[in-house]
Amino acid sequence: MTAPPRVCPRCADETVEHIFASPVPGVWDVLQCGRCLYMWRTSEPARRSSRDAYPDGFRMTADEIENASEVPTVPPLRSPLA
Amino acid sequence: MPHDDLRGFLDALDGQGQLLRITDEVLPEPDVAAAANAVPRLGDAAPALYFDNIRGFTNARIAMNVHGSWANHALALGLPKKTGTKEQVEEFIRRWERFPVEPEWRENPLWAENTLEGDDVDIFQVLPLIRLNDGDGGFYIDKAAVVSKDPDDPEHSGKQNVGIYRIEVKGRRKLALQPVPVHDIALHLRTAEERGEDLPVAIALGNDPVISIVASTPMLYEENEYELAGALRGAPAPIARAPLTGLPVPWGSEVVIEGVVEGRRREIEGPFGEFTGHYSGGRSMPVIRVDRISHRTDPVFEHLFLGMPWTECDYLIAANTCVPLYQQLKADFPEVQAVNAMYTHGLVVIVSTKKRYGGFAKAVGMRVLTTPHGLGYASTVIVVDEDVDPFNLPQVMWALSTKMNPSGDLITVPNLPVMQLAPQAQSPGLVDKLIMDATTPVPPDDRGHYGNQVRDLPEAAEWLDRLQRLADRG
Repeated sequence: MTAPPRVCPRCADETVEHIFASPVPGVWDVLQCGRCLYMWRTSEPARRSSRDAYPDGFRMTADEIENASEVPTVPPLRSPLA
Repeated sequence: MPHDDLRGFLDALDGQGQLLRITDEVLPEPDVAAAANAVPRLGDAAPALYFDNIRGFTNARIAMNVHGSWANHALALGLPKKTGTKEQVEEFIRRWERFPVEPEWRENPLWAENTLEGDDVDIFQVLPLIRLNDGDGGFYIDKAAVVSKDPDDPEHSGKQNVGIYRIEVKGRRKLALQPVPVHDIALHLRTAEERGEDLPVAIALGNDPVISIVASTPMLYEENEYELAGALRGAPAPIARAPLTGLPVPWGSEVVIEGVVEGRRREIEGPFGEFTGHYSGGRSMPVIRVDRISHRTDPVFEHLFLGMPWTECDYLIAANTCVPLYQQLKADFPEVQAVNAMYTHGLVVIVSTKKRYGGFAKAVGMRVLTTPHGLGYASTVIVVDEDVDPFNLPQVMWALSTKMNPSGDLITVPNLPVMQLAPQAQSPGLVDKLIMDATTPVPPDDRGHYGNQVRDLPEAAEWLDRLQRLADRG
C-alpha cells in the first residue's frame, strides 16, 4: 500500500509530522502540520483531513499565520526599580 | 452525600437513568462529538453519554454531556432530578450563603496511580483525544480545572484560581491556553510575564461535578473556588497537593497535568468553536510545556461539546452565572428580586426589581454593566418589574411588549469592554451596551398609560395546586 501524499488540509504545507498511531495497529494516525500546527486524524471525514475537501472558510494562509493577533499581548517587563 | 470523584457521579447518574452507555463501536470523529451535539436536543432531562468502544483505541473511556441538562445539573448539586431551573438557582443562592467552607487536605489522591515525567510525557498515551467541531484547529481539552497562583502573592489562597479555559493539544507535551483578559488566570499570567517568569499550572481533568461548576463560576478575584465547592457540596472539598508544582488540585481527579505557561511566548492557536456559537479566529496565544502527568488507571476522559446553543456548556454556565450577579446587585439594591444571566454566560442579563422611584430600574441596569462579570460580558440588560419572572421568557416578552417605549427606555452606552470572543463587537473587546427598561414607570416618571394592571386572581395559586394534583392523578 502506498502512503497517501502528506499535505496539510488547512494550509497546504508539506511539513507533516506523525504524532500518534492508533493503539489498535493500522486503524488511524494523528498527523500535524509543521507550519499552521493543524492536527488531524487520518480517519476523519474528508472535510477535515483532505486538502481538496477542506472548506474555504477554515483555510489558513502563511500571511494569516504570521500576522495572527496576540491574545493576550505580552506586557512590558517590570523595571528593576519598580 | 456529595461525590468525591467523577466515577461516583457517573454511577449516580446511571442509577437515576441519566447515563446512556453507547456500547456499539463508534468512530472517534465525528461520532463522539456529533452524539454530544445532539443529546441536549432530547430536552431538559437529556442524559450524559459514556463511550468505551471507540475505533482504534483499546482502553478509551469518554464521558460527554455530564452536566448537559437541568436534570443532570440538579443531580450534580444533590437535588431531585426534576427540580426546576429557577429553584436550582434559588438553592444555589442559599448554599452560597455558607461560603467559605475550607477544603480538606486528603492523602493518597486517586490520580497518583500512574506517572509520566519529562520526555516520557505523551498526552496521547493518556487521553483519547477527539476533535469537537469541523473548523477546530486540533484536539481540545475544554472541561479541565486549571489551577494557578498569583506570582506576586503565592501564599494568598484566595488569589489562587481554579478555572476552566480552552486548551489545545499541540504536541505530545505541548498545549496552548486561552487566558481571556477578563479572567483571573490572565492576571496571573500578566504578572508572571511582567516579572519575566513562567507561570506554573496544574490542569485537573475528570472531576467531581461540583468542581466543574465552581471552576466556571465568575467569582471575585480574591474568592477561593474550593471554598465555594465546600459550600455547594455541604462538605469540605477534598484536595491534594500536585507533586511537581505543589498546587492544590482536586483529590479525586482522573488526570492531573503539570507544567508551566511559558512566559512571553505566543504561537498560532485555534480556531475553536466557542461558547458564543461562533469560531474564534486563529490567534497567537500562550504555550504550556507539560512536565508531568499523573493519572488513574484507564482514566475517564470527561469532555464537553459546545456549539449552537444550547449545549452542555450552556447548562454548565447557567445557574453559576446568575448567582454572583444576583448577589452583587442585591448588595447595593435590595429591591432586586431575581437575575437570569443564563444566556451565553451573561451576554444578555434579565433582572427583575422593585422600583424605589422613577429611573431606578435604569440605574440597576447601569450597575449590571459595572459588576466584575458584567464588565466583560453583559452587553444587553433587560430590566423587568418585580412581578415578572426573569426565567419565564414569555413573561419577559410581555414586559418588553407593553412596558418598554424606545423613546425613553433604550439606553446605549458606547465603547464599553467586552470579552474578546463576543462576535458582535465593533473591534474585539469593545462594544456598545444596551439597557432596556421594561418596567412600569413610577413617579416622578409618568410616561405611558398604564392604569391598572391585570393581576392573577387571589385564588389562582390555590387552583394551580389543585389542578396539578388532578393532572398528576390522571
